[in-house]
Amino acid sequence: MTTEKTVVMMHPTRSKPLRVLAALAVVTASTMLAACSIQITSAPDPSIPDDTMLVAADNGSPLFERNFNPYMVNKRTAAFYMYEPLVILDNVTGEEHPWLATGYELPDPSTVVYEIRDGVTWSDGEPFTSADVAYSFQLLKDVPAFDIQGIWGYIESVETTETTVTVHLTAPDVPAAQLIGTTLIVPEHIWKDVDDPETYRNPDPVGTGPYTLGNFAAQQYTVDKNPDYWQADKVAAEHIILPATNTQLDVATKGYDWAYSFISDVDGTWVAAGNKNTYWFPPGGTIALFPNLTKAPFNDLNVRKGLSAALDRAAVGDAAAEGYMEPAGQTNILLPFQQDALDPSIPNAGLLEKDDATALEFFAQAGYTQQDGKLVDAGGTQLSFSITTANGYNDWLKGVQEVQKQWGALGIDVKVDSPQPAAYQLALRNGEYDFAMGGTGGTGSIFRDFNTLLSSDFLKPVGEEAGNNFERFDSPEAQAILDQYKVAIDPAEQLELGYQLQQIVYDQLPVLSLYYGGSWGLVSEAKFTGWPSEDDPYASPKTYESTPLLVLTHLKAVDDD
Amino acid sequence: MTSSTLTRTPDATAPVPETGGGRRAAGFALRKLGLFVLTLWAAITLNFLLPRLMPGSPADAALAKLAQNGPVSNATKAAIEAQLGVPTGNIVEQYFAYIGQVLTLDFGVSYTFYPQTVSELVSTALPYTLVLVGVVTVVAFVIGTLLGVLAAWKRGTWLDSLPTLAGSFASAFPYFWTALLLLFFAGYVWRLFPTSGAYGPTATPNLSFEFLGDALYHAFLPALTILITSLGGWILGMRNTMISTLGDDYVTFAEANGLKPRTVALRYAARNAILPNLTSFGLALGGVVGGSILVERVFGYPGVGYLLFNAVTNQDYPLMQALFLMITVSVLVANFLVDILYGVLDPRTRR
Repeated sequence: MTTEKTVVMMHPTRSKPLRVLAALAVVTASTMLAACSIQITSAPDPSIPDDTMLVAADNGSPLFERNFNPYMVNKRTAAFYMYEPLVILDNVTGEEHPWLATGYELPDPSTVVYEIRDGVTWSDGEPFTSADVAYSFQLLKDVPAFDIQGIWGYIESVETTETTVTVHLTAPDVPAAQLIGTTLIVPEHIWKDVDDPETYRNPDPVGTGPYTLGNFAAQQYTVDKNPDYWQADKVAAEHIILPATNTQLDVATKGYDWAYSFISDVDGTWVAAGNKNTYWFPPGGTIALFPNLTKAPFNDLNVRKGLSAALDRAAVGDAAAEGYMEPAGQTNILLPFQQDALDPSIPNAGLLEKDDATALEFFAQAGYTQQDGKLVDAGGTQLSFSITTANGYNDWLKGVQEVQKQWGALGIDVKVDSPQPAAYQLALRNGEYDFAMGGTGGTGSIFRDFNTLLSSDFLKPVGEEAGNNFERFDSPEAQAILDQYKVAIDPAEQLELGYQLQQIVYDQLPVLSLYYGGSWGLVSEAKFTGWPSEDDPYASPKTYESTPLLVLTHLKAVDDD
Repeated sequence: MTSSTLTRTPDATAPVPETGGGRRAAGFALRKLGLFVLTLWAAITLNFLLPRLMPGSPADAALAKLAQNGPVSNATKAAIEAQLGVPTGNIVEQYFAYIGQVLTLDFGVSYTFYPQTVSELVSTALPYTLVLVGVVTVVAFVIGTLLGVLAAWKRGTWLDSLPTLAGSFASAFPYFWTALLLLFFAGYVWRLFPTSGAYGPTATPNLSFEFLGDALYHAFLPALTILITSLGGWILGMRNTMISTLGDDYVTFAEANGLKPRTVALRYAARNAILPNLTSFGLALGGVVGGSILVERVFGYPGVGYLLFNAVTNQDYPLMQALFLMITVSVLVANFLVDILYGVLDPRTRR
């Protein structure tokens, strides 16, 4: 963490004897600590009843602001438990769950008809209607700052009947239906009277979701079960408590029921703390190295193949994620939960093995040979480049250092560049890097996973910000498949096109997949069971966005068993 | 110490002010004031420039955070920028707009905690820091200085070696480490004190005894951390100047006159020896506004230090600028006051 540096700066003049004393004290105390090896145990607050969950989902700054405007970046996380979308897309399984819409149809690739669920009411008792949906869409058009997903990039117009909402798209675009469907819906009868929605903090939220706001204090708030929720019989927890500060020690010791956090040595900390703690870390995306394809020699496929063959992906994953995450296949598909979408003709599910001999063959074809332990080109210049990663993302840094070691062993001079996250992000978007660490895939939508990675629509010259396709992969072939995918309504056709895209990623290495990025679900079975797990992977274990609705309507109270 | 004791000649060896000292003192204060204004302007300007020299914008910082959870759409950056209200105009226009804001104490909307304004955030956080860090700084100064006097007066005895050794030992720890140690044992292992927050999770701040007690209970560990780590400095500083003062002729003279040891120690030696400690105290008070970043961070204490930490890690320019400015101004003011006070206490500094 950056904190240590700050301390050093604050005590710039410390006399030598004191420093010696300090060192001595640190050594003594750490030996003492190591000798005792204190095991933290979970001691839940006895005042929290069995029907109430303690969840680490929302962090204050450290105080909470009472902001439940679902369209703001800085809203309270529980706004996701109060406002619902038409469709929930789970990013682990890629499964689509009809929610406020009972389903949708595309009579043609540029028209989406959402069937609006009947019998849903807002938490103030008013009925939920198709007009609310149309109003919410219109609101995002009127306030572009709210349109974080950019749905008005796809919508031409919206029409409603009593039971349906029809969205006319600007162009044929089947996958847009899903994206538009994830918009959170707000009640027209309340929001139409808001004078300045742009800065409206919505302190007394009225939604359709399973929970309504209970007590709100700056350091902790609660949400209570909405008794009139449209699937109230599936909601087990009567109350959820959300504290503003959730340190890892808090999470392990205070009897939390659910948290989403990477925790070092999870068996020795979270699980050993007791309280029937378990965890599930499914893949949430692929962590990959993005080569800058506008630069030599990364634009040479043989160089990319050589670099890829020199990678021991399992070792990189182990170094970065303490062995909790599997190495990723070179397909941009999350395994094992998206197995159905995987092209069966790709060998070994896309997983590439380290093979230095093959790597050197590829390098030889690109004109690089080993001389005195260095990989040099025809002119005798060593292959040398840097990998950009974000400062403070320690897992990525450890992964990059492992890559540096592996490529270094072949005689490549690899430097590590780790600017602040904002500067890293800008470098990635501007294409001002050699290699960059980054995440890809994991949206749950196969189309979107490939589109953001490969589409020429995002292509921008170096120095101009690209929205996606940061590696600047320029392939008419891939674009043609994506264009076809965009208008394909038949699932079998979509599957086939997905196979073709996997082949392209596998053969042309636009990015080098390393390992799966984890979704860090920590849960306790003391009060509630039915959490998503490896055996029952029905949803991502994350506590934010809309997928928690799948979890909150799936749990069972232990008492009821 | 009351102001009447301060205006009396505090140093027996100091020369008596000459006639015309009043005008000279006024000139001295004016010079100091001019310097103060100039430093302030430089600080304000640097404050404006530094964040803008950093690569990447606040929207990039927000995007980087979002991108960790999966790809973000092409429209996201535009929407985030629209939400944040990123500064417009060229750098000169921005500079004058900023100076105008500083003069009217309007620091705009925070980027990270949009749509909260900077003033809202600061006014929530400042009372906690002022009370926690402020009170502890005063307490540490008083206890530390008294212990220093005692140690010097009884030098060579256990009353000297114990506080001196304990003080240097405790202040030699990095203070976040002391904080973590206290948090771990008193908070988690023995469960004596709450581990985070400034008051109970559901309490509402008010002036009832119940709430104040709860707030004190929550402030105990962070306060203890600051006390432990800062006490040593005051003890050592006081002890060392006191020892050299004790060797001065006028102290020997006072002793030889048969004055009570307590009178000699406190009224003759300590009152003169305290000057350097007083300077540090002024600066420490100035620094209080900046909070105690790491202590507040470790204990999740909702003060200015924590706010500053969040502002810096998220490149929240408006919040950062307001906080840095507050810190700079309070340190400058403290410095200015100490300068003036010195001028009053020791006429030699006015030349």
